[in-house]
Amino acid sequence: MTIRNPTQSGRLKSAILKGVYDENLRIDGDLPPADRNGQILTKRKKKALTGSLLFLAVFLLLASLYLDVLNFREQPATIAGRTTAQTEFSLGETGVVEMSAPALLPAYSSAQESYILRQPGIEPVELNAEKLLDYSIILNNANVRLSSVFGLDVQTIVIDPGHGGKDPGAIGALGTKEKDIVLDIALGLRDKLEESGKYKVVLTRDSDVTMSLTERVEFANSGRTDLFISLHVNALPQKRENLIETYYYGPPQDEETLRLAEQENRGSGLLTRDFENMIKKIGNTFKEQESATLASSIQHSLFTNVKKYDKDIADAGIKIAPFVVLLGVDAPSVLVEISCITKKQEELKLNMPAYRDEITSFLAEGTTRYLARRNLHVLKGVENGQKERSKSS
Amino acid sequence: MAKKSEAKAVDEKMIVGIDLGTSRSAISASNGKKKWVESYVGWPKDFIAKKVVGAPILFGGEAVEHRLSLDLYRPLKNGVIKEGTARDEEAVKELIHHLISLVQAKNDADKVRAVVGVPAESFKVNKVALKKAVAEYADSLLVVSEPFAVAYGVNALDNAMVIDIGAGTVDFCIMHGTVPNEDDQRTVLTAGDYIDQQLYNFLEERYPHSDFNLNMVRRFKEKFSFIGEPEKAVKVDIPVDGRPTKHDITDEMRRACESILPAIVELMLELIAKFDPEYQDVIRKNVILAGGGSQIEGLAEYLEKVLSEYGESKVLAVDDPLFSGSDGALALAQDMPEEYWTEV
Repeated sequence: MTIRNPTQSGRLKSAILKGVYDENLRIDGDLPPADRNGQILTKRKKKALTGSLLFLAVFLLLASLYLDVLNFREQPATIAGRTTAQTEFSLGETGVVEMSAPALLPAYSSAQESYILRQPGIEPVELNAEKLLDYSIILNNANVRLSSVFGLDVQTIVIDPGHGGKDPGAIGALGTKEKDIVLDIALGLRDKLEESGKYKVVLTRDSDVTMSLTERVEFANSGRTDLFISLHVNALPQKRENLIETYYYGPPQDEETLRLAEQENRGSGLLTRDFENMIKKIGNTFKEQESATLASSIQHSLFTNVKKYDKDIADAGIKIAPFVVLLGVDAPSVLVEISCITKKQEELKLNMPAYRDEITSFLAEGTTRYLARRNLHVLKGVENGQKERSKSS
Repeated sequence: MAKKSEAKAVDEKMIVGIDLGTSRSAISASNGKKKWVESYVGWPKDFIAKKVVGAPILFGGEAVEHRLSLDLYRPLKNGVIKEGTARDEEAVKELIHHLISLVQAKNDADKVRAVVGVPAESFKVNKVALKKAVAEYADSLLVVSEPFAVAYGVNALDNAMVIDIGAGTVDFCIMHGTVPNEDDQRTVLTAGDYIDQQLYNFLEERYPHSDFNLNMVRRFKEKFSFIGEPEKAVKVDIPVDGRPTKHDITDEMRRACESILPAIVELMLELIAKFDPEYQDVIRKNVILAGGGSQIEGLAEYLEKVLSEYGESKVLAVDDPLFSGSDGALALAQDMPEEYWTEV
């Protein structure tokens, strides 16, 4: 079968083939820089450019050494170790670099070197080594995906089945306990995520034991946790519909969320003096970015799949809330309210192993999707095309 | 002169398109050969097993047949190479080697250039693992998404949608004259394997005393899958207490096959609705089904009916679902300019 489309042409094919090439380079993290016309450089051009740059670097180094020798001859060495003797290097038509050459080469001189980049029609820009090594511009930029910039991978995932032991969590009308549902799903999720062989997955509890929130946080922080997923079931007797929602750490957005946080944080075992340390963790750009993206991916997967079975289910979206486990754990962390046990029909379904297995698969799908895309975007985007509704919902 | 020598260099390389699938993997080569193999790789468990099977490694159906003597691997579960699991990576490597050896004759060029189709969703993960796996057997490699390879193969490069229904995944891809980006490609995991599992569960429920396994169920599906009204009742032989017995599995087959429809319909409509409104009617007339799932009887008609509520629509299945991915990958490899090939 061949689809004939009148708009197709050789030009279209050429553009697509080039796109395939660029895409492969991009995935490799090896996308060549654009040339002056904004065109991507081919491998050969890149090689030529690399050669030129290498030549220029060697030339600059030799010139720098030569000037140092001259300066050393002309001026006696001083403790200050630096003069403002400047040399100009011509870079052809592209501009001029002025280099402040140190009068002598003390051990710390490299950190003090400064360069002035001049280009026709552009204000001179002073660059120094300290600024070049300053990552704060990246770290404080909420739009830059730090996991991509630094190529951070995930090895250990901690799954936290909420409640347990003496704390049953929410209890449905038929007596179903939140602690049992989330434990079963957590065990299944561990198996599914471990199937890939890429991740070590551990549970905060793998049986019906009591565990305080601080113990869970300590457990996660004592290991080399890269991701933390806390599982819960909602209890919302005042609401008619079943709903799914996913949280990451942040100040509460509404009273209802605050109440839920109060409910989930009960018995945290935290002392007032711990609060200062906890607050220091707020504003961690990396953690917030990754938590938000993971939350988005899990929420999307869970909601879109469950909706196929339950047309009336509500998508409460991704929310920001001050849950202790989310704040305390150093790694990116989310809390998923996978279902609502106060809906009788939902409680019945939660008692069926097949339904729990389905939910487990959807959670695994959302997590895997996040992990697969983790380092794809340098610029922060929204996973799955889904808008974060944290502030509106 | 330079162009002539470049052309000569190209001729010295064999070009292949590979479609790595969960269930089956296929290869199409520039020498005209095409082969496929079930995506199973097995190593003998011990030296006795090695003597029994008579080979250090077995592939495809042969491996499944001798599974009791083998450590059997299906390395592309859910369409993803299990990167990090050494044995699975080794299995992919051997599978690719085997595929290439199936099409490479003695007088063919030693150097191989490959375009490999992988599931859209796990593009990056697969690419890394693939590079490791292919390095020994291909000199240069490009990776594309499976549905995109299919689209390229049938020249559906503009205003078209490919739905590639495989064993592990259903991959969606919207083509609009450029290489599809992430927003143009989606994957759902309810695919062929899901149908098998559903059918297995339904049959187990209805015929608790009959002896069947997942492989048998898969064969039933491949032969009798349908959606809507069947032409005739589906009856298969299943042993009961060792005696082959006819079983009517019509209802179970329909329920299992239809279980993947909601996800497919939802995503299909969603992707079309997101497309430029001016061209949505063109896309509706250019929906292409590929992969083994495209052979489900009545599927194309069903999807066309769903789409026709929005206007005139056309859903077509590719002629050769087994090789549509590898043929597309080969076409792409053959069209790829020399300067875009990089050494692995």
